Amino acid sequence: MAVSGFEGFEKRLELQFFGDDPLENMGLRLIDFESLEQVLHAVNCTVVSAVGNHFFDAYVLSESSLFVYPNKIIIKTCGTTQLLKSVRPLIHFADKLNLTLCECRYTRGSFIFPKSQPFPHTNFKEEVIYIEENLPNNLVYRKAAVMPSKNPSYSWHVFTAADQNHHRRRSLNSDVTFEVCMTELDRHLARRFFKKTGDCKTGDLAGKEMTELTGIDDINPSAFICDFAFDPCGYSMNGIDGDRYSTIHVTPEDGYSYASFECVGSVYDDDVDIVETLKKAVQVFKPATVSISTTSNSREVWTKVARAIEPLGLKCRTFAMDEFPAAGSVVFQTFTAATRRK
Amino acid sequence: MGSVLASFFNGPNSAEEDSSSSSLLQTFHSAPRWQLHFDSVKETSKLMVIDFSASWCGPCKLMEPALSAMADKFSDVEFAKLDVDQLPDVAQEFGAQAMPTFVLLKKGKEVDRVVGAKKDELEKKIDKYRCC
Repeated sequence: MAVSGFEGFEKRLELQFFGDDPLENMGLRLIDFESLEQVLHAVNCTVVSAVGNHFFDAYVLSESSLFVYPNKIIIKTCGTTQLLKSVRPLIHFADKLNLTLCECRYTRGSFIFPKSQPFPHTNFKEEVIYIEENLPNNLVYRKAAVMPSKNPSYSWHVFTAADQNHHRRRSLNSDVTFEVCMTELDRHLARRFFKKTGDCKTGDLAGKEMTELTGIDDINPSAFICDFAFDPCGYSMNGIDGDRYSTIHVTPEDGYSYASFECVGSVYDDDVDIVETLKKAVQVFKPATVSISTTSNSREVWTKVARAIEPLGLKCRTFAMDEFPAAGSVVFQTFTAATRRK
Repeated sequence: MGSVLASFFNGPNSAEEDSSSSSLLQTFHSAPRWQLHFDSVKETSKLMVIDFSASWCGPCKLMEPALSAMADKFSDVEFAKLDVDQLPDVAQEFGAQAMPTFVLLKKGKEVDRVVGAKKDELEKKIDKYRCC
């Protein structure tokens, strides 16, 4: 393990809003691009590529991704970004559109280099204090928890907050979110995410080549992919398929290699689809360690995760489940290679 | 890295209406006018690039400065901007579901397309198809 390096583990923030005006069906998508750039500037990242469809806009950032739906914003950033600094300006811009915050969700794994993180990300307690200071009073239900694994330096951190009406919205929400974190990537596969020496292909072109070479475009063949390759290494992609997003971020350097895969599905999806998607995503990297956090209103959907991962030679080592306001059930599972690679 | 990337996309503002900053990046609001233009370019050997976008689409705005710059640089190429809400039939005909979508045509036939605000890929493809 290196002494220091780029932090692959992301911080993820999801904010949900509601509005009274039926004409504003574009909702948060009406926040103009310059305002979004201001928010990202506060966080310390910029947009490198983007695509949108009738349901939402997806932006690939210099340090991860941003998804803007009419009533929901999801930002996921890695490195030493100060993600929580986006909370206040986003609430401000939404307020100008007569949209009120009704749910907030913040999740992350454990940092590989926790001492390199700036305030308020120095530790989870500081993060929770900071979020709470920036949340409006109508979010009356709040919960913060650290979900453990066998390794004390490998946990899943969750904070959610919701308003009094979240019970009513719950029955309408059939979403399942899978957040997959992979470390100790197969070295040979990770090398595909380094730009070839002498190759003058830049950004999105180099990204497209990596997408095709690694089989990432095969994970969901019907998704439109927006990809980007960084100098001298690193890769990010957003996939859009109807109203569903998927996103992959890769830090390929040996010693602190990391890859994340996140996607949203439905509790009504065919088992086969969920299993196949997760399996293909993990196979791109053949990691030695995988953790998967499954968030939904279903208490069973997490069972599909083990069915996807175990056939790949990874054994489920730990399991933790908890309930959170609005988010529902969060299940945190960790897997490591059944036989350790030398 | 941040400031380099910011200037990567920022450029001179391009007007949204018919009178755009570059005479070779025309915006079409009516189907008959579009059809006339399409038919006339079809008769030539020029490469045509159609930008399918929408007024509410953030990613489209991201691409606008880069597209204007390309229209200035590749003066032998015809650039046309179509709003998917104003010309939904054309958008459907070309299967533009994600935005921005850039369709490259020669003699009225599609030769390639780029989906998303991908400056490098679009520039490479325009360069590839503009001559032969």
